[in-house]
Amino acid sequence: MIQNAWLIPVFPLIAFLILLFFGRFLKEKAAYVGIAGLGLSFIVSVMVLFERIGGETYTYVIEWITFGESTITMGYEVTPLNAMMLIVVTLVSLVVHIFSREYMHDDKRIHVFYSYLGLFSFSMLGLVLAPNVLQLFIFWELVGLCSFLLVGFWYFKPEAAAAAKKAFLTTRIGDVGLLLGLVILFNQTGSFDYGEIFAAVENGLINDTLLTAIALLIFMGAVGKSAQFPLHVWLPDAMEGPTPVSALIHAATMVAAGVYLVGVMYPLFLASPTAMTVVAYTGAITAFFAATMALVMTDIKRVLAYSTISQLGFMILALGTAGYVAGLFHLMTHAFFKALLFLGAGSVIYAVHHRQDIRDMGGLWGKMKITAVTFLIGSLAIAGVFPLAGFWSKEEILASALLNGDGFLFAIALVTAFMTAFYMFRLFFKTFTGEYRGGDHDDPHANDPGVEAQGAASVAEADNPRDDSVDQDRVPPAEDHGHHDAPKENSGFMTFPLIVLASLAVVAGFVNAPFLGHQLEGFLIQGLNVGAQPHGELWLAFLSLAVAGGGIALAWAMYYKGAIAEDFFASKAPGVHKLLINKYYLDEVYVAVFVRPTVAIGRFFWEMDKSIVDGIVNLIGRSTRGTGRSFSRGHNGQLQTYGLVSILGGLVVIALAFVIRGYFG
Amino acid sequence: MTAFDANWSLMTPEIVLAALALLVFTIDFMTGIHGKKPFIGKLSVMSLLVTAVLVFLTNSTSGQIADVFVVDGFAMIFKLIILVGVAMVILISMNYLDRNEEIYQGEYYSILLFSALGAMIMVSSADLITLFIGLEILSISSYCLVGFKKYHRHSTEAAIKYVILGGTASAFILYGMSFLYGLTGSTSLRVIGEAMPQLFADYSVMMTISFIFMLVGFGFKISIVPFHMWAPDVYEGAPTPITAFLSVVSKIAGFGIVLRVMVFGFLPVYEEWIFIIAVLAAVTMIVGNAIALTQKNTKRLMAYSGIAQAGYLLVPIAALPFMGNFSLSMILFYSVAYLMMTLGAFAVITLVTEDAGTSDLSSFAGLFQRSPYLAVAMTVFLVSLAGLPLTAGFIGKAQIFFGAVSADLLWLAIIMIVMSVVSFFYYFSFIKQMFMTEPKANDKELQVPVSLSAVVTVALAVTIILGIMPNFLLDIFTTLNWFALF
Repeated sequence: MIQNAWLIPVFPLIAFLILLFFGRFLKEKAAYVGIAGLGLSFIVSVMVLFERIGGETYTYVIEWITFGESTITMGYEVTPLNAMMLIVVTLVSLVVHIFSREYMHDDKRIHVFYSYLGLFSFSMLGLVLAPNVLQLFIFWELVGLCSFLLVGFWYFKPEAAAAAKKAFLTTRIGDVGLLLGLVILFNQTGSFDYGEIFAAVENGLINDTLLTAIALLIFMGAVGKSAQFPLHVWLPDAMEGPTPVSALIHAATMVAAGVYLVGVMYPLFLASPTAMTVVAYTGAITAFFAATMALVMTDIKRVLAYSTISQLGFMILALGTAGYVAGLFHLMTHAFFKALLFLGAGSVIYAVHHRQDIRDMGGLWGKMKITAVTFLIGSLAIAGVFPLAGFWSKEEILASALLNGDGFLFAIALVTAFMTAFYMFRLFFKTFTGEYRGGDHDDPHANDPGVEAQGAASVAEADNPRDDSVDQDRVPPAEDHGHHDAPKENSGFMTFPLIVLASLAVVAGFVNAPFLGHQLEGFLIQGLNVGAQPHGELWLAFLSLAVAGGGIALAWAMYYKGAIAEDFFASKAPGVHKLLINKYYLDEVYVAVFVRPTVAIGRFFWEMDKSIVDGIVNLIGRSTRGTGRSFSRGHNGQLQTYGLVSILGGLVVIALAFVIRGYFG
Repeated sequence: MTAFDANWSLMTPEIVLAALALLVFTIDFMTGIHGKKPFIGKLSVMSLLVTAVLVFLTNSTSGQIADVFVVDGFAMIFKLIILVGVAMVILISMNYLDRNEEIYQGEYYSILLFSALGAMIMVSSADLITLFIGLEILSISSYCLVGFKKYHRHSTEAAIKYVILGGTASAFILYGMSFLYGLTGSTSLRVIGEAMPQLFADYSVMMTISFIFMLVGFGFKISIVPFHMWAPDVYEGAPTPITAFLSVVSKIAGFGIVLRVMVFGFLPVYEEWIFIIAVLAAVTMIVGNAIALTQKNTKRLMAYSGIAQAGYLLVPIAALPFMGNFSLSMILFYSVAYLMMTLGAFAVITLVTEDAGTSDLSSFAGLFQRSPYLAVAMTVFLVSLAGLPLTAGFIGKAQIFFGAVSADLLWLAIIMIVMSVVSFFYYFSFIKQMFMTEPKANDKELQVPVSLSAVVTVALAVTIILGIMPNFLLDIFTTLNWFALF
């Protein structure tokens, strides 16, 4: 079956094509086409994984393009790493497909939604199977495009359309670096194939400075895609997309592609200590800052979004401190429990009539038992409580940071782990315990000076001078599913995925548990020269547990027991609280520093084209104007201006040429 | 050798096209000047296709007529691009003309055929005089075409502007050429090229001026900064299919002669000019993309986008001395890609803006609901113009990018890629309008005429096929005998 691994992305592609052409007639049945496609992909992925465990890496390529003297290939490859990724992607995508059947069923564009999901799954699986970096890059761009379409799916909301564009363009900034890095790499090694690149690196064909530059440029791509500081700003806004999309793309798969990229290019990074340090610190800083913002957010999805950024930072930190397996192991466990948390959040949002503010929730424990229990499992897993999945992978990351010898990184990781446990249980207690605060009153926080969508909106203002005639009063159709009764548990389409993911959040950690002999590690490092993998001692496990317990206890004291007032910290340090709730004002800074100037430069050149040159003409004299008056009636001598500017331009070019030739000295 | 000994059969395609253009002209007279004449449109397309087949048959023969007219791989590819381009422009025009009755259809088609003839002569010429004659046939035809909506002030105004500035450009070119003739006593590019190293050593100031004057003139024709200012006004005023013609056929043919002059005339002294070209490429990319950001009118936006694209095409010229034929292959590949994606986009723009009665960007609102096929096709064209993978535009740009890095023009490569990111902003404004905006209240499903949907389909197919299997074209380029004279 491993030879037929190409089938894995093809099934979702077929689903996409069917829905593209016949979706209009299928309507709600579109869901089953998508589910069937992903189901088949998942089955094949499982078979491929088992075959790979017992076998060899399989590569199949054909010649694609000849660039000068080099040949670029296309094909697919099954390595231990991507065999694991295939399972993660197909499984999460499958459960999201199932979940959306219920979540989206009121949307009259549900077939479009499923077609986008199919296209995304195809692209993501293509990315994973790519045998060379160029092919990876191609699918990398495609997933970005799908993300754009899906974030903007409810485009009637201006925030959603703005967020879609912001997400796409922000990640493009990282891609500039990635493409540049790849081209330099190709220029140096004459190949995009992983094997040949690594061979060139090992043989010292690339000098150290260039190697570091390449690694950092490639890392820029990862920073954009995996929402690392300073390009993380798009991910919280991307929460404007439907919640299943957030679970699939912005928690489990696409955002992990950056981590995956660093993973597949790992020998390149290992060869440059500078690059490794940058990677480690970027991860640590991201993990920390994102966690601080998660502490104060009140939108259930935004808390999870910042949590995702923070956890991705953890993975990057692990990779940067030589914890190859630790980073990728966390990628896998995180995919399961974060998808679980997002789908749980989706289940809650659906039940409380599309409200997302946790201040309007509460008391849902008794009303939706399955969602509540699975959400608790997810929270325990991400907090790192023994023996759930997150415990094992987070402990390895801590070990990796510790054994790397940089105490600062370890300390940051530990503090972040504490915050993780705290904000997750703040979320849990606010949502599921206490009294239900949703009641009859309509959205009490509607006019809150809060932060929801603030970033997206401010960017939208600046980047888009042409205002789209969006009908602001329309609401997403899914918001409109009729019932306004008390929240209750949702149907099996929504609870089944939660149960599946919750089970995985419990058991997925065992694949690399020390007492079972680090099975995953043995599998992943086959044939790779990534050095010895760090393992922590027993005390580290207890420390990690203590930190998680501390965070949970504090959240319990504040949000369940009420022993500490909820606004205790906010009132003690209002400045910090304001800073956090405004996301360190980064959106505003970016708009002021990057977006506005770019638009201003465009305006400036345009004004030059239009008017400033008129002034030059006037300066030079009216005679210029007079000569062509018969032609220029009614358009202010622009014609002469154009001619004049062109002639002046010509003179400038001549001057430039003379300067180059040294005539002027 | 007298004129009668020459191998005139090399000119068969041109002669046939001239005859057919005259035939179209005559039929037009015989049928009266007014009214709808779809048959003349079809006849014109047939004429172009027949000529294209004849051009293709010259594939195996290559040669020249008295150093004046050459037939080689380079000319063949450019001629095919021109002929296909004009044929597609005519197909886009057919529906447009029926909606704009003040345009005399027969004249319009025959002048388009003459412009194609001029462009063909231009890219085949190996002599300054022939080159100039071809250029003027193309230019004068273009002036007429821009002013075809003669009762519309914008169209007439655009035509006048274009005549004057085009004339200025021609003057620059002629003046620049006169230096070459004065110093070598010959108008043959081959003779000039052979004398070039010595000339530059002896008369470097004059040669530099000559080069720059020609560059300024050609710069007008291919609309590079700072000689671009006519483009947005003229593009906006011209009938939309003619805007497509100017931004594709005219521009690509202009690149054809820039390359002829560069390769035949000035390549031996490349170190004198590559930096200038590189700087112009950078400025063109930056200014074109930056201004495009601020545009709300689709035709002006496409004008600035076209300026930016000309900047991308200059990059491989700056890399030409280092990359040789590979550079030519990049330019031609990108030209084909540019032809298809731009004409495809203009086909959609023509229909949509004509239907809306305004060329404002908002005319694209909700296109996905009004015509899913056109919206998806337009998205592919835009994505290709922006240079995203799986499209011809990506392969073209990636090659140029790679060539620039290999030619040690890393700074230029960086500007290029950063500017492509900027271009996403305005290309995605279209996409946002089409997919993420509701159509206006009274907009119905859009009826797509057959001729137009044929153009869109061909352009779409080629854009995607070249994006997935670029070897189709690249393999042909590697087997070409580029230049017959050297």
